[in-house]
Amino acid sequence: MGRLIARRLLTAVPTLLAIIILSFILMRLAPGGPFDGERPLAPEVRAALEAAYGLDKSLPEQVWMYLTRLAQGDFGPSMVYRDFTVSGLVAEALPVSLLIGGCALVLASLLGISAGLWAALRAGKWQDEVLMLAATLLTALPTFVTGPLLALIFGLWLGLFPVSGQNDGWDWLVLPVVALALPVTGAVAKLARAGLAGELGSDHIRAARARGIAPLTILRRHALRPALVPVASYLGPAAAALLTGAVVIETVFGLPGLGRYFVQGALNRDYPLVLGVVTLYAALIILFNLFADLIYGWLDPRMREG
Amino acid sequence: MSEGYVVRDLGVRIGDRAIVDDISFSLAPGEIVALAGASGAGKSMSAMTPFGLSAGVASGSAMLDGIELVGMPERDLSRIRAEKVGFVFQQPLTALTPHRTVGQHLQEAAMQAGGVKPDKAAMVAMLESVGLSRPEERLVQYPHRLSGGERQRVLIAAALAHGPRYLVADEPVSALDAALRGEIMALLVRLCRERGMAMLLVSHDLAGIEHHADRLLLLEAGKVAEAGPAQQIATAPATDYGGRLMAATPRLSEPLHQLPDTGETLLEAETIHVHFPKPGWRRGRIDAVVDASLSVAEGETLALVGGSGSGKSTLGRAIAGLGPMAAGSVRWQGTAMPPRNRRSSEHRRLIQPVFQDPLASLDPRWSVADIILEPVKWLVPHEYRAERAADLLEEVGLPRDFAGRKPSSLSGGQAQRVAIARALAANPAMLLLDEATSALDPLVADGVVALFDRLQRARGLSLLFITHDLALARRTAHRIAVMEAGRIVECAPREELFANPQAEATRRLIAASG
Repeated sequence: MGRLIARRLLTAVPTLLAIIILSFILMRLAPGGPFDGERPLAPEVRAALEAAYGLDKSLPEQVWMYLTRLAQGDFGPSMVYRDFTVSGLVAEALPVSLLIGGCALVLASLLGISAGLWAALRAGKWQDEVLMLAATLLTALPTFVTGPLLALIFGLWLGLFPVSGQNDGWDWLVLPVVALALPVTGAVAKLARAGLAGELGSDHIRAARARGIAPLTILRRHALRPALVPVASYLGPAAAALLTGAVVIETVFGLPGLGRYFVQGALNRDYPLVLGVVTLYAALIILFNLFADLIYGWLDPRMREG
Repeated sequence: MSEGYVVRDLGVRIGDRAIVDDISFSLAPGEIVALAGASGAGKSMSAMTPFGLSAGVASGSAMLDGIELVGMPERDLSRIRAEKVGFVFQQPLTALTPHRTVGQHLQEAAMQAGGVKPDKAAMVAMLESVGLSRPEERLVQYPHRLSGGERQRVLIAAALAHGPRYLVADEPVSALDAALRGEIMALLVRLCRERGMAMLLVSHDLAGIEHHADRLLLLEAGKVAEAGPAQQIATAPATDYGGRLMAATPRLSEPLHQLPDTGETLLEAETIHVHFPKPGWRRGRIDAVVDASLSVAEGETLALVGGSGSGKSTLGRAIAGLGPMAAGSVRWQGTAMPPRNRRSSEHRRLIQPVFQDPLASLDPRWSVADIILEPVKWLVPHEYRAERAADLLEEVGLPRDFAGRKPSSLSGGQAQRVAIARALAANPAMLLLDEATSALDPLVADGVVALFDRLQRARGLSLLFITHDLALARRTAHRIAVMEAGRIVECAPREELFANPQAEATRRLIAASG
């Protein structure tokens, strides 16, 4: 297991490098730049700004400069929010995204897995059909529909939860977390159901039944772990996406999370901000895929051997 | 209370379909009764359904020690299974839970009827009694670390852990390597005799059970065709069905049939090596075939025999140009064949393959005619194609109007005949038969073997016959090459091989097939 972790962290370095360099180049290929406003800047001002941020150097030089700074943990200054560094912006926005995403992740896993298992145990019966229809609907509905809908019903009509911004309590969290968790819940439920339904028909379950083991014990002891393998493989990348901020939810509920900075940064051509968020996002994806692999190993010992 | 297991007028239905119809038999304490028959005859269904372990619904009566099992609620049936019966299944590879160790399985099995938790010494003793080597080490291992035979031994140990009076074994050796089958079957029988257990044995392999079972029931289409002492049925079956089943089962003791005459040497393979890199990130390589040489003459059948993993399929594929070859040469009528990526369509025409799983080797979306004619699509003018496909179907013993069918509407035997017709379409000089009959039912397999014999005589075909079944090789092949661990350890005409086996591996195979 130690070897698996070491190997994965080693292969993560070239992967990250490739992602950063590619994003750097793609960013520059997009038309426009950080200093294009409605009023064109005076040429000498523009030249001074570009010199200050190193934009006058050749592209390979700029990549090299960025990478050397990154290696020292410096994500550079934001080119649009002039008084802030990228690290400062991320430090401010990331906790909000982590909180919402983390809660949504826990909620989606708990709800999705329980619903999926329950449906699998009633495979073919009406409860199964209803749950799976609901799961399909949840996966199909985009958050820009469910978000405003939840805000309308529970915020404006019923007045149960605030619909915008943060406050000192916890109730501001409810609607964004639920809206963010719903599609993931649907997907997890479908995967858990398929996993367990497939597992229940397998030979080793029949062998356990032949031993006269009680149905609940069979479920807990023999079926559950292999049934959750597909859920684990989905939740790895999904966790990374949830935790790094959801643009739509943050916009709908007026929350200062990382997702909004990312989109704003891309629109403003705020090169360092976009690259900083991309790097963070890629690192999290790699990390969570590693977690998913470690969980696989626990769920099924065959996967401990590469 | 009457001891024993008594089945009267047992019926099994799945939905509206009757699978088993009015079967009656009894199993006295300590007795071994075998259910045999062609596939689809209802053997497993008859054995498993009264215990609630199949998809079927039972009717009639099945009394275990005076307790009626048919119609019993699942909760009570589950207790009966836990207390009185041990089960051994066909698939040792999948019947153990992957994330639980061997020790955990044994512990659960020993406690299933409310027994005390076994200590390590007790579990080691269980594994020793089923002949598993290094038992202490095994206890903490996960199932995937064990081979198929080792897993079946663990499953047998688990089935016996709670001291049942009855054992139900559903094809316990058919998924195992040929060399192991006799050994595991003998182990089951010895354990039954030692412990006074009764065993209900399901098997399609008559040659493998006739010496072990006390009584034998031959099932045909859900009914008992013939029942009686196993030895008597095996030697002198009373019914036509019994006779056909017995004749279809190759035995080493049967008289040798005359095989067609052979001609000049056609194919010579010399010092063939095949190796593969080890899977995953591990260094090194696996030597699948080492220094293998063989020759096949015109109209001759050469059998490649060996256990699983002995390299027989890999060697066959290398010769036919279907798989990699690291070193060695293949000559056809004295001329060297180029390596596989430079073989022309003419080279490929000469050797055509037929594989083990007939349905997996046919594209389910294609019609039978398209499948058969794919190799020669551009060579046969459009107006002659239907005619050609029908001729080939007729040659392999299928109705001419099968051309429009899809593979999903074919039985296993029919699908294999279509695969043979496809191989013949290119007008080959040699067929590579890779376990071409081992996925088939004995009666169907016998028909396909007869077809090969007919084709060989009519077309002068050479056959490279890869099989794990030594008795089948003896029945069909002029010469037999025995493979072990990637090497050909012995190659001799069949009479000579059995009269005077040279290699240790040959002697072991002969002993296991007897």
